[in-house]
Amino acid sequence: MMPKIALKGVNKSFGHVNNAFVALSDLSFDIRAGEFLAVVGPSGCGKTTVLNMLAGLDSPSSGQILLDGVAISGPGAERGVMFQDYALFPWRTVRGNIEFGLLYGKPGQGVSSEARRKRVDDAIALVGLSGAENKYPHQLSGGMRQRVALGRLVANQPDILLMDEPLAALDAQTRIILQEELLRIWGQDTAQETRRTVMFVTHGIDEAVFLADRVVVLSSHPGRLKAIVDIDLPRPRNGETRKSARFAELSQEIWELIREEAYRATMK
Amino acid sequence: MRTAPAGRPPRNARAHGVLVYFRTMLIFIGIWFVGAMLISNRLLLPSPTSVFWALLDAARDGDLAFHAFTSLLRLVVAMLAAAVIGLPLGLVIGLSRSWEDAFELPIELLRPIAGIAWIPLALFMFGIGNTLPVFIMFYTALFPLIIGTAAGVRGTDRRLLAAARTMGVTGMPLVLHVVLPSALPSIIVSLRLAVAAAWTAVVAAELVGAPSGLGYAIEYFRSMLATDHVIAFIVVIGILGSLTDKLLRLAETWLTPWSRDRVLP
Amino acid sequence: MKWLAIRLMSPVGLLVLWEVLVRLSGSPRAPSPSTVFVAAGELIASGELLAGLSTSIVRVLAGFVVACLVAVPLGLVMGAVRSVERNLDPVVESFRPVAAIAILPLVILWLGTGNTAAIAIVAYAAFFPVLVNTISGVKNVEPSLLRAAHTMGLSPLTRLHAVLLPAAMPSILVGMRIALGVAWTAIIAAELAVGAKSGSSGGIGQMMFVFYAYSIQLSGIVVCMAAVGVVAFCLDRLVSLCLTFITPWSNAR
Repeated sequence: MMPKIALKGVNKSFGHVNNAFVALSDLSFDIRAGEFLAVVGPSGCGKTTVLNMLAGLDSPSSGQILLDGVAISGPGAERGVMFQDYALFPWRTVRGNIEFGLLYGKPGQGVSSEARRKRVDDAIALVGLSGAENKYPHQLSGGMRQRVALGRLVANQPDILLMDEPLAALDAQTRIILQEELLRIWGQDTAQETRRTVMFVTHGIDEAVFLADRVVVLSSHPGRLKAIVDIDLPRPRNGETRKSARFAELSQEIWELIREEAYRATMK
Repeated sequence: MRTAPAGRPPRNARAHGVLVYFRTMLIFIGIWFVGAMLISNRLLLPSPTSVFWALLDAARDGDLAFHAFTSLLRLVVAMLAAAVIGLPLGLVIGLSRSWEDAFELPIELLRPIAGIAWIPLALFMFGIGNTLPVFIMFYTALFPLIIGTAAGVRGTDRRLLAAARTMGVTGMPLVLHVVLPSALPSIIVSLRLAVAAAWTAVVAAELVGAPSGLGYAIEYFRSMLATDHVIAFIVVIGILGSLTDKLLRLAETWLTPWSRDRVLP
Repeated sequence: MKWLAIRLMSPVGLLVLWEVLVRLSGSPRAPSPSTVFVAAGELIASGELLAGLSTSIVRVLAGFVVACLVAVPLGLVMGAVRSVERNLDPVVESFRPVAAIAILPLVILWLGTGNTAAIAIVAYAAFFPVLVNTISGVKNVEPSLLRAAHTMGLSPLTRLHAVLLPAAMPSILVGMRIALGVAWTAIIAAELAVGAKSGSSGGIGQMMFVFYAYSIQLSGIVVCMAAVGVVAFCLDRLVSLCLTFITPWSNAR
């Protein structure tokens, strides 16, 4: 089966040829259709760069990134992005943010205003924001803003969800709750064929293990593929999953892979 | 120093604020009254009461309304002209590097020349009349508007632009629904600065080069040695200036409810 | 090369347009770029321009210093003591929207048309930006800084000059920068108006009006306008240099 997304020998460097900073070096991996793939690694491993390139906001210096076998040449509505700090439009209400892509972008083309309203309502209900539709982002807590960003993402109904540390700014309790919400919205209770493809960038190892089907581990300076770890925890996952011995084992395994580099990074 | 109370102050605090306001103004007027009695020269310092009667007088015979209306109308015309030219120009300068290159030099060369310094040349070009004060105000307001708009456009959060692009929003919708709203707070602040500067300029322009308006009125009454009327019209200039600013502040909270921290120069 | 061409396109275009318009108008008094250059040479060589400018600049600096001497201490007190601010604020807010040029007729009545009147106008114009920015500078000092100073046992007076003043300094300097610009505009307006209505006042503003009223050819006005712009630019650069020199820790510009 053809992978949904394929990275083939991707290199990325910034700056001029002579004193270029190499962010990614010879990176190759696949993302399968309907899979939840997490990318972890110490800071400076180029996680966000990978995501930006998949989003089409950046392009590789050499190598190829194929989406359904075709090279990515720019942003596309079939790939939705959730940014690290949510990137909500401060001048639009919760509703205004969620319907933004449907109103002005490709996802809304050919959608009647009635269907659009329905989709926005559904998205608001799905992320649990009913009642807060008319609030502005600055009136919301971090967790609520995260829900708005998620609602905006699902309202556009992209095939592929690209998430850049979407839970990093939240406190620990909220993060745990939203991890489970995220899995529910992604559709972990449904059959694998109906699920959407997710690439989830994070620096939290337990978060990656809890959410993902596979975890891509990167090393830093420059970013290289270190390992791909299969997460064989059963779905649906919930609070019980975190207590299981296998969860701890997998987390430990990934931690061993990056511990040395993570430690070095703190001394810089 | 102290933590400011958030939101609207409680009612008795507001009542107290009103009380303090009137107390201070009463004391100020009292000092003025005593000073006027001591000097006892109506030409140098008329008492508050005679200024009040002069104000009433001007209001009754229509002088006040006529001059105030004339000045305000000129302000509105000049601001509209400045906005029609300044806002689009600021937008393209903020959006495009080559437009910025093309306009930066003339703007930076003309901007330091105060609008008021154009008065003698404008006298020659337009003569005494309506055009001169409108031109001076237009010129004064134009640069803050261009620069404020361009800065607002340039300051658009790159992440918001990226977010919109990943939703397939590009071209005109991107400018209309991301760049402009994000620049709006900066545009409104520059509009307030522009109006304040133009209001200062109109007095000077009318003082020298117009047969009507508030600036003309104070100069006219000075030449008539009617100091009480001069002060009455100064009061009117102050009140109208602060009312215009209040109005724009209201528009600001109404138009940009999302921008919480408004830093004002 | 292309970059340079784009940048020079509009200024050169404006100059050509100006010259063409003047030629077309056929007015003998209208200044054109070529006559302005000649006039500039003459005015600089004769020393007239410099004399006019220096009169105005001295007035601006004197009035500016007077304004700072009153506004900074007053602003410090108003910023630090809530009750003083509350009680004085109505008067300040009443005068603030009244432009300096509007009180010119009163100042002429009280002080005549000489240097004292000019300095008074400048001081009035420069007073409010300095005051308002000093107050907001003091009010925005981190409370934790003052608490820290308090716990270290600093006396109130030491706290003022060791904590409050340096912490408020960036904002005060920003106020001074705005004030100097406003003051320069005010002196031009005042000299112009006095020159127009009641005879001699000296300074670059009056010089412009004299060119308008008594000269056959108006190029001198444009030379003065350019000089006004150059001085405004230099004053602003000067204060902004002082800013980085006095408060190197600040990024307020």
